[in-house]
This record gives sequence, C-alpha cells and structure tokens, in this order.
Amino acid sequence: MASHRVGEPAALSDSGAPHHHHIPYAVPHMLHHPTNSNFINQEGPAFDFGELEEAIILQGVKINNDDKKQHLYTAIRPAATLDMFPSWPMRFHQHTTRGSSKSGEESTDSGSAVNTLSNTPESPSDHRQPPPPPPQMDAAGGIDSPRMSGLQSQPPAKPAPEKTLRRLAQNREAARKSRLRKKAYVQQLESSRIRLAQLEQDLQRARSQGLFLGGGGAASGSISSGGAIFDMEYSRWLDDDHRHISELRTALQAHLSDSDLRVIVDGYIAHYDEVFSLKGAAAKSDVFHLITGMWTTPAERCFLWMGGFRPSDLIKMLIPQLDPLTEQQFMGICSLQHSSQQAEEALSQGLDQLQQSLVDTIANGSVNDSMRHMAVSLGKLANLEGFVRQADNLRQQTLHQLHRLLTIRQAARCFLVIGEYYGRLRALSSLWASRPRESMIAEDNSCQTTSDLQMVQASQNQFSNF
Amino acid sequence: MHYQTGSGSCKVPLKRSVATDPMERIERMAAAHAVVIFSDSTCCMCHTAKRLFCSLGVSPVVYEIDQDPRGEDLSKALLRLHGGAAPVPTVFIGGKLVGAIDSVMASHINGSLVRLLKEAGALWL
Repeated sequence: MASHRVGEPAALSDSGAPHHHHIPYAVPHMLHHPTNSNFINQEGPAFDFGELEEAIILQGVKINNDDKKQHLYTAIRPAATLDMFPSWPMRFHQHTTRGSSKSGEESTDSGSAVNTLSNTPESPSDHRQPPPPPPQMDAAGGIDSPRMSGLQSQPPAKPAPEKTLRRLAQNREAARKSRLRKKAYVQQLESSRIRLAQLEQDLQRARSQGLFLGGGGAASGSISSGGAIFDMEYSRWLDDDHRHISELRTALQAHLSDSDLRVIVDGYIAHYDEVFSLKGAAAKSDVFHLITGMWTTPAERCFLWMGGFRPSDLIKMLIPQLDPLTEQQFMGICSLQHSSQQAEEALSQGLDQLQQSLVDTIANGSVNDSMRHMAVSLGKLANLEGFVRQADNLRQQTLHQLHRLLTIRQAARCFLVIGEYYGRLRALSSLWASRPRESMIAEDNSCQTTSDLQMVQASQNQFSNF
Repeated sequence: MHYQTGSGSCKVPLKRSVATDPMERIERMAAAHAVVIFSDSTCCMCHTAKRLFCSLGVSPVVYEIDQDPRGEDLSKALLRLHGGAAPVPTVFIGGKLVGAIDSVMASHINGSLVRLLKEAGALWL
C-alpha cells in the first residue's frame, strides 16, 4: 500500500481496502518533508479539484517551492467524473485540500508562502460540483490512495507529471470499473424482479385454470401447488398486516375520533377474515401444508394448534395488555377464554379420535383388501380438512367476540397488540435462524440479525407506549 | 348421553314413530328432549360435538342416523335443514335448530349457547 504512494502506480486500482483509517498509518510512509503535517489539520468546505489538477499538470506548470509542491499534491485528486461515485475518504480529502488551498487566505501555520497560482484557479472550480454525500463504497477505493497520498504526502523533489497522469488514469479506470459493476448488479436485480413477477403471474394463471402439479411435490419440489399458492397469498397478507398495524399505531397516537378508529378496526377485522378464507381454500387443496404449519415461521409452528394459533392462549396473553377493563368486560373476556378452551378441547378430542381411527384402519389393512382399506383411510384423512376449518372458525369467532366486548379504542389497542405480538414472534424466528453458530458468521446473517433486532426494538418501543 | 337407534340394541326402549316423513321425524325427535344431537357413530366431528356438550355439564340425546334404517332420508333432510357441509352433527336445543358444528362453536363463543341451554332447562348454574 505504501509502495504506490511513493510513486508506483502499479496496484492503484486494486487498492479497494485503503480507507480513511489507513491514513494515519500511511502518513509516515508518505512524508517526504517533515513540515507537511499542517495539511492534516486544516478544515474547510469541500469542492472539486479534479479539473484543477488536470489543468495544472497538463499545462506543465512547474511548481518550484516546497509549499507550492505541497499544495499541488494536496490538490491532487482524480478527475471530476469520479465524483459520481464518491466514497468517504473523498470528503475527508476535500476537507483538507480545501483547507490547504485556503491556507494562504487564512494564514495558518504553513500559510506564509501563499500559492497565488493555486488560489486564483481555485475560485471558478470552487462551487462547480458540490460533492454528493459519499456512501462507504469499496469501489472507489482506488481513488483513495492517491488522494490520501496527495493529502498526506510530501511531494518528491520534482513532481513527475507522467506518474501523476498514470495514476489519474488508473483512478479513472477503477471508478469506471466500479460503475460498470454497479450497473451490472442493478441490471441483475431488475431481471430478477421481472422474473419474479412472471412466476407470480404463472402461478396465478395455473391456479385459475385449476392445474395441480401432483400434491406432495412430485413435480414441484417440496410443496404442492396449493401450498405454494397459499404461501404466496399469505406473504402478501403479511405485508398487508404490517400496513394495517402501522395504520392502527398512528391512528392511536394521533388520537383520532371513534368513528375514524372504527373504520380502521373494521378494516383489520376484515383483514383477518380474509386470511381465514385463504386458509379455508388452502385446506381444500393441501390440508397437510396447513396442519403441519409449513406456512408459518418456526417459532409460530412451535405453538401451533390445529393449523394456527390457539385462541385461548391469545386471550390469556391479551388480558393483562388490555388494562383498564370494566368489571363486565373482564368477566366477558374471561368467559370468552373459558368457552374457547372448551371448544378447543372438544376439537382436539375429535381429532384424536380421527387419528386413532386412521391408525386402526391402516394397521388392520389386509393384503387382499388393501385397495378398500386405502379408500377408507383416504376418506378418513379427508376429515382433517373439517377440523382445520373448525379451528379457523373458532379463531375467527374469537376475534369477532373480542371486537364486540371492547370499546373501539380498546379494540384498536387490542388488535395492535395482537399484530405486534405475532410480528415479534416472526422476528424471533428469523433471529433464531440467523444466530451465530460455530465460529463462522456470514456477513449477511449478522446484518440480518441487526436489522431484525432493530425491528424488534422498534416494535418494542411502539408497544411500550400503550 | 342417551342413544336412540333404529335397530334393537339400545339403552332406551325404542319409540317406533308412525310418521314416515323424515322432516317430521326430526322435528319430533328434536322436540322430545332439551338437547338433541343427530350424529354418525363413525364421524369424528360428531364426537367433538358430544364432547363439547359433556364438558358443559349437559347430557344430550344422540341419534346415530347411520344406525337408523331410514338414516339416508334423515341425512338428506338434515342437510336441507341447515344447508351445511355435512348432515351431521346437527344440534337442536329446546326443540329449536342450532345448526352444524360451526354454528354451535360460534354460538358458544358469543355466549348464546349457554343462555339457550339454560332456557331449555339443560343447565342450572
């Protein structure tokens, strides 16, 4: 790294790594004159020196005294075109170069020898290109080193325009390459997006035409088309859910009128009605997909009861969150929890009986009668759909009853709590999936963890308002 | 729970009904007791309905239509009556139709089931 700063332009474009934090370490290598430390300290607004340096060099201006040389090298920057893809160190460099260019005006410690040459061309280029906020990109890293070297280095006794030109050219090359890379990436994203839209369209078409690719995944991999369609619809529903939750939250914070809140709450109930109808359709095409919870996240699957959440558990979670409740409301909700428990128990027992009967049928199938036994077994399996449907019916009725028991404001808070609760459960699943295991932590995973954590914390903050 | 079947093996003496119209039979059977469930002995959802009422402390009277010689007619009539997905289970309380399992669940959740049971005299608490 230090080598090309001294003047070897060989590996310039590969120097993606040298960021600003390398500057202090590079300083000793780059100092040819001990008195150049002032350039590090100077501050000032940033502006583009690209054209300036090119102009100076191409005109073959000889800079004789040390200060001028220093100034030239601090002024060295890649061509203006590279501003389109700047990086952090550019700003830092701009700070100091600006400062250094004003050294004459501000009379800082170095400033006695004013470089009038550099001062005058300075003004026109001054406000030409205000640098955009620089993202941290490696791509323009190749720019850094020569800039850093320009920043910190004492110029050699005689400036070598040839080397400088070469360096400039390599900087341009590096920037051009990174622009091309970025373009390629964006194009890849675009084509993926188009492909995704295409796939969704195909699925919809297939569904409307009633095509089924063989349940259980012979043709389509691990899930049947019914399951795949439901997963797609469910993920859209989840996006909608997120939107509804935000709406509820802002509505409560904004203290909207009851009639306005009512509209939003009714909308949320309808949104849940929609998922139950989606699940009803999915139960017809692939009940196993629902009942095994393959459509949910692992954490939700852990608490799965008959293809979804257990209503009595949800109410148990809600009761402390719904304070304050009137005596009557409290009794009503406790009674709701109790009724739901009884209904759940009855359904579970019915399902147990179904399983037992199925086991008996399969176990007692004789070789002679295998076809008939299979037919009987299939008939019994078909009853699974009924149980999942009744469980969903129970969930739906429970939510409606909650809506009836609470005031509109309480209902809004209640549904917000529900939405956030499941949001957090889902976030927990992703965090769990991306938790560090062994010693290898992929960059992507830890980034995801961070963003999930932020999401969890964000919802936590919102939640604590109520 | 009291079972009434069309065949001979039953716990309660069989009342042979004169009327042949299934709808009338249903009405008569439903009116005879506070809680009546039309069921199928092989149907698991019917088992659910029975368990639910037992958990409420109620003793429903169960008609297993698969053991009735005219169970077919009854089945069709029941389906016509409440227009549900399956003829059984179908629940009557106090002679009035409550419906299939989904109506029963819904009515239990909204609190009306217990009220109906109390009105029919099936529950005292």
